[in-house]
Amino acid sequence: MTNTVATPAAEAPKGQSTLLLLLLKLRTFIALIAVVVFFSLMAPNFVSVANAVIVSKHVAINAFLAIGMTFVILTGGIDLSVGAIVGLVGMVAGALVLYGIPLEMFGVVIYPNVWEVIGIALLVGTFVGLVNGLLITRMQVAPFIATLGMLYVARGTALLMSGGSTFPNLIGKPEFGNQGFPALGAGTILGIPLSIWLLLVVAGVAAYVATKTPFGRQIYAVGGNERAATLSGVSVDRVKLAVYMISGFCAAIAGLVVASQLVASHPASGETFEMNAIAAAVLGGTSLSGGRGTIGGTIVGAFVIGVLSDGLVMMGVSEFWQMVIKGVVIVGAVILDQMQRRIARNARLG
Amino acid sequence: MSLRKTLKTVSLGLLAGIALTASALAADGKLIVIITPSHDNPFFKQEAVGAQAKAKELGYDAAIYSHDDDANKQNDLIDSAIAQKAAAIILDNAGADATVAAVQKAKDAGVPSFLIDREINANGIAVAQIVSNNYQGATLVAESFVEAMGEKGNFVELVGKESDTNAGVRSKGFHDVIDQYPDMKMVAQQSANWSQTEAFSKMESILQANPDIQGVISGNDTMAMGAMAALEAAGRKDVLVAGFDGSNDVRDAILAGKIHATGLQPAFRQAQYAVELADKYLKEGSTGQPEKISMDCVLITKENAAKLDNFALKD
Repeated sequence: MTNTVATPAAEAPKGQSTLLLLLLKLRTFIALIAVVVFFSLMAPNFVSVANAVIVSKHVAINAFLAIGMTFVILTGGIDLSVGAIVGLVGMVAGALVLYGIPLEMFGVVIYPNVWEVIGIALLVGTFVGLVNGLLITRMQVAPFIATLGMLYVARGTALLMSGGSTFPNLIGKPEFGNQGFPALGAGTILGIPLSIWLLLVVAGVAAYVATKTPFGRQIYAVGGNERAATLSGVSVDRVKLAVYMISGFCAAIAGLVVASQLVASHPASGETFEMNAIAAAVLGGTSLSGGRGTIGGTIVGAFVIGVLSDGLVMMGVSEFWQMVIKGVVIVGAVILDQMQRRIARNARLG
Repeated sequence: MSLRKTLKTVSLGLLAGIALTASALAADGKLIVIITPSHDNPFFKQEAVGAQAKAKELGYDAAIYSHDDDANKQNDLIDSAIAQKAAAIILDNAGADATVAAVQKAKDAGVPSFLIDREINANGIAVAQIVSNNYQGATLVAESFVEAMGEKGNFVELVGKESDTNAGVRSKGFHDVIDQYPDMKMVAQQSANWSQTEAFSKMESILQANPDIQGVISGNDTMAMGAMAALEAAGRKDVLVAGFDGSNDVRDAILAGKIHATGLQPAFRQAQYAVELADKYLKEGSTGQPEKISMDCVLITKENAAKLDNFALKD
């Protein structure tokens, strides 16, 4: 008798919590829809294909960083150096386009073509990531400190490369055969900017790697429980080394796109970008303690931040309010994240 | 000798070396410390270069530091200038109010400060405050902007970092001129924090919200360059851009017909003048000038852009 009374009473909250749980799981997506609807009503010309393209283009830069950051955070680490890598890679590309590679002993200067410039720049970004990874795995430096140090080293190096000034007019010269660098930022395929296509490719590959490959499962394993991962034969160090290299590589893509869009490289480019990347990952449901999060969530998170900042600019909201609102949204997302975990735990226990 | 001992000896030696150098520099009272915002803006770099060259010319040692617009870092740098017994400090400061105490501290320690580019909100603490007349420069740029727009049309204003006095002064200068023309309409006003990247993305968004614009007036040159790149990406060659500072990048854009005008602040000359005044003050006990000295800005357009180099006009 007590059982029959108890069952419906227990089911009602369970049904409610399932719905709530579903809503909370989709919270980033709901937030995205909410901001899009809000700005559609409030900002002039927000709803247009052209604006959707511009917003996506702005989001792409943060999304590249956030994808790399997600891999790092999934292992329980953090990469504070990505913003500085954006600046450094831009400067490397700028120097290569403007001055080539001087080989003093032979008295000649080699001007790499645009593909080689891009290749070298990507290698530089990946190399910085490799150093981060080595510091963390071989020298046992905490990721926060290792990448914080790298932030300063990379930013300082970027400033040293030009003595602080900008490399302007990165259009190349026909006689050096190195024209075409601006195309990365300004070029389009089917009317869609290259950087958006690039984002689709990078996000697709990243999602595939994270969910469908043994390496992806190892990343989650390392972040979920490093000791258990080690005991089950995962080479934790190799996984960590790889994620920091991925993060450096992704930051290098962002650095190239930024320099190409401005047709100039500025050593201070990318300042505080690392914070936006972390924010996008966290908004998308990545747990800073590792082991939990998805690439798709991160992309949606990056879109929430991007739509928010572009929409507020279009509405003419002051810079100061923009900062406050962004902060509130990020913290709000984490609060919801905690709620979801609590409810999910209770639902499992119940 | 063990490794640890070697390290200890070496680092002690290094410390002693640093102390010796510091006291050697201090001994003859010949050190001029030059502190500016980050050199990633060529404007501040030219200030430092100009001051250093003049200091060397007058027989001083010069040390160059950057406070990166961080009042706290500036405070530390002034502390170390005092510790090195600098003869004088040339300072482009990190905030009109936040700097007052630090300059006072230097004065109390017997180190005179000569301020350039930005004022502080106190008199009688610095020996000299040599400031470009940002207001006058902004009105010059605004007049030329209004004239080129035919006294009518929609425009966008990109404001500098709003915590920086000059951002506000320039914006006021722009508006005191432009607002006299009823047919000039500001459709958007955004801060892009002096940054090229930020100006680029904000300009793109503003263009979406307000495609019907004929001009962009910008609180400095780096933001003007960012706006120009965004307008070019959108294929908008019809939009007039004006900047402020007089950088070489904008000079080239003016010569290429992509930017209309900028206001040149004589950064290089200003910094040199500050060192000359410091030298006079150290030798004669007075600069012979009032504390506040204003240097006029010059309008740069296609007419005179070719003569501009590193924030100085050649004759």
